[in-house]
Amino acid sequence: IGGLFRNVVGGKTLTKEDLEKPLKGMEDHLMRKNVAREAAVRLCESVERDLVGLKTGSFTSVETTIRQAMESALQKILTPTTSLDLLRAIQSTNAGTPQRPSRPYVLSIVGVNGVGKSTNLSKLAFFLLQNKLRVLIVAADTFRSGAVEQLRVHVRNLQELSQREGGEVGIYERGYGKDAANIARDAVSWAAENAWDVVLIDTAGRRHNDQRLMSSLEKFAQLARPDKIFMVGEALVGTDSVQQARNFNAAFGAGRGLDGFIISKCDTVGDMMGTLVSMVHATGIPVVFVGTGQHYTDLRTLNVAWATRLLLS
Amino acid sequence: MVLQDLGRRINAAVTDLTRSQNLDEKAFDSMVKEICNALLEADVNVKLVAGLRQSIRRSVNFKELAPGVNKKRVIQKAVFDELVKLVDPHAEPFKPRKGKPNIIMFVGLQGAGKTTTCTKLARWYQARGFKSCLVCADTFRAGAFDQLKQNATKARIPYFGSLTNTDPVAVAAEGVEKFKRERFEVIIVDTSGRHRQEDALFEEMVQIQQAVRPQQTVMVLDASIGQAAEAQSRAFKEAADFGAIIITKTDGAAAGGGAISAVAATHTPIVFIGSGEHLLDLERFDPRAFVGKLLGMGDMQGLMEH
Ligand SMILES: Nc1nc2c(ncn2[C@@H]2O[C@H](COP(=O)(O)OP(=O)(O)OP(=O)(O)O)[C@@H](O)[C@H]2O)c(=O)[nH]1
Ligand SMILES: Nc1nc2c(ncn2[C@@H]2O[C@H](COP(=O)(O)OP(=O)(O)OP(=O)(O)O)[C@@H](O)[C@H]2O)c(=O)[nH]1
Ligand SMILES: [Mg+2]
Ligand SMILES: [Mg+2]
Repeated sequence: IGGLFRNVVGGKTLTKEDLEKPLKGMEDHLMRKNVAREAAVRLCESVERDLVGLKTGSFTSVETTIRQAMESALQKILTPTTSLDLLRAIQSTNAGTPQRPSRPYVLSIVGVNGVGKSTNLSKLAFFLLQNKLRVLIVAADTFRSGAVEQLRVHVRNLQELSQREGGEVGIYERGYGKDAANIARDAVSWAAENAWDVVLIDTAGRRHNDQRLMSSLEKFAQLARPDKIFMVGEALVGTDSVQQARNFNAAFGAGRGLDGFIISKCDTVGDMMGTLVSMVHATGIPVVFVGTGQHYTDLRTLNVAWATRLLLS
Repeated sequence: MVLQDLGRRINAAVTDLTRSQNLDEKAFDSMVKEICNALLEADVNVKLVAGLRQSIRRSVNFKELAPGVNKKRVIQKAVFDELVKLVDPHAEPFKPRKGKPNIIMFVGLQGAGKTTTCTKLARWYQARGFKSCLVCADTFRAGAFDQLKQNATKARIPYFGSLTNTDPVAVAAEGVEKFKRERFEVIIVDTSGRHRQEDALFEEMVQIQQAVRPQQTVMVLDASIGQAAEAQSRAFKEAADFGAIIITKTDGAAAGGGAISAVAATHTPIVFIGSGEHLLDLERFDPRAFVGKLLGMGDMQGLMEH
C-alpha cells in the first residue's frame, strides 16, 4: 500500500524541480512515439508553464497531472481552429455568385518523394465520387517513370467503381517531360470549359532541400491557382517532418501557404503517431486527412481523441 | 548529405570538450548529453541512444582515468568506436559471381525507393561486366510494371513482368526461370511495398522468396525514416532474413539515424546508398570509412589503426 501512494502529492503546489524529472520522462516518451525532438521539447515546456505554481488535486500524482496537461496540449495543437468542409466549399465554388462566376474547385497535392501523393489523391477522388461529383485528375508529375500510367490505372479503377457509386472521373494528361505548371493551367481551363466539378492535380515528388524543384512550386501555384494545396507527409518519417512541412509551406510565394496535411501510411507505424504532431507544430497547419492503407476507402478525417490516445499510450 | 550534420555536431562536442581548460567529469557528462541529443534529433532509436550513452560512459570511465593518459584520445576513440558499432555489423556483404545466376530480391516499406533502386543496381552490375536483368514482381501497385519498364528501357536492361497475371509469386518464378535459362548473371526481383502490420503481405513476400530462392535479399530503407525503423526492419529481418540494406534518398536533408538504427537492430550491413532520382545516383557504402570521414579523417586515422 505504501508503494501505491508514494507518488501521491495531492494538494501540493508544483515547482519546477518537482516537474523536471517526470517531464524529461514525458519528453522521451513523445520521442519514442516519433515526435520530433524540437516539438517534444516545446510541448513539455508549455506543460511546464501551465503547471508550475499549480496545486495538484487530492490523490493525484505528478505523473498523472503531467499526463492530463499533455493530453490537453496535444488536443489543442491537433484540433483545427477552422473547420474544413470540403464538400461545401466545392459546392459553393461550383455554384458561383453574382460576383464570382461558377467554376471548378481546384485542389493540388504536393510532397517529398514516395510519401503517397498519387495514391491519396486517388482516394480523395473516390471520396468525391461517392458524393456524386465530376472529378478530373491531372497528371502533372511529368518526371517519374510510370507516374502517368499509375494515374491512368487509378482512373480506370475509379471509373468502374463510379458506375456503382455515381459521379464521373476523367484524366488530363500530356505525357512526360513537359512543364507541370503549364499543364496544370491548361487542365484547369479545360475543366472550366467542360464543367468539371473538381480538378485534382498530382505533382512530382521533390526533396524539400532542392532549391530548383521547390522554387518551381511558386509558378505552379500562380498558374494553377488551386483553391487548396494539401501536402502529403508520411507517418513513417522522422525529424525531417519538421523541415519538410516548413519548406513546403514557404514554397508558394508570399501570401500563399499550405492549406492542410494528409498524413499517409498511419497503418504502418502502430502507435508512433508523432509525425502528426511534428508537422502541425512546425507550421500551425491542420491535418485534414489521414491515410490508413493502400485501398480507396483508406482515407479518414483526423480523430483527435484517437491520435492523442495513441500518442500517450 | 546524410549524417553529415550529425557528424559535425558530434565532432564539435568532442572537440569543445577536449579543448576546454578543465576537462572534468561535468564537462564530459555534458558532452555525452550533447552527442545523445544530436543522435536523437537524427532519428536514432531512443533506446539505442540510451544504450550508447552508457557504453561511452563505461568505456571512458572518467573517474578512473589515470592522470597520465591522454583523455582526449580516450574519449575520441570511445565515441568513434560506438558510432562505428552502430553502422558496422561486421558482416560480409554478398558479392555476385560471374558465370552464375545471382538472384537479388528487393523488399521494403511502401515508397522506400525499391523500384528506382533496382534499376540503378542492375545498371551498376551491368557496367561491371555482369549480364543483368530485372523482374517486376509487384503486381499490386498501380503502374508498377510501367515504372520498371520505363526505367529499364532507359538503362537498356532486359526486363520481365506481366500486365495480366496478378499473382506476384507466379510472375517472379516465371521471370527468374526465363532469365536463368538465358544465362543472365544478375537477376534483380522488384516486389511491392509492404509493412509488418499486414500479415498477408509478409506471407506473400516469403512465398516470392521461396519461389525465386535469392542468393541475396536486400531491404531498401528511406533515409528519412523515424522511430518506426527498428520494429519494421526487425520484422522484415525475421520474415525475409535480408542480408543487406540500401539507404535511399540520402540527397535529402534527413540525417539518416532511423536507417542506421535498422542496421544496429538487424546486424545487417548497408551496401549502397541512393543519392538522387537518376539512374547513376548510386554509391557504394563502407561503414568505417564513412564514420571516419564523418568525424574528420585527420584526427581519426590514427585511432582506426589501433
Ligand atoms: N500502408 C500504406 N501505404 C500507402 C498509403 N498511402 C500510400 N501508400 C503506398 O505508398 C507507396 C507510394 O505511393 P505513391 O502514391 O506512389 O507515392 P507518391 O508520393 O505519389 O510517389 P512519387 O510520385 O514517386 O513521389 C505505394 O506503394 C502506395 O500504395 C497508406 O496510407 N498506407
Ligand atoms: N531524391 C531521391 N529520390 C529517390 C531516390 N530513390 C528513389 N527516389 C524517389 O522516391 C520515390 C519512390 O520510389 P520508388 O522506387 O517508386 O519506391 P518503391 O519502394 O518502389 O515504392 P512502392 O513500390 O510503391 O513500395 C520516387 O519518386 C523516386 O523517384 C533517391 O535516392 N533520392
Ligand atoms: Mg506520385
Ligand atoms: Mg515499387
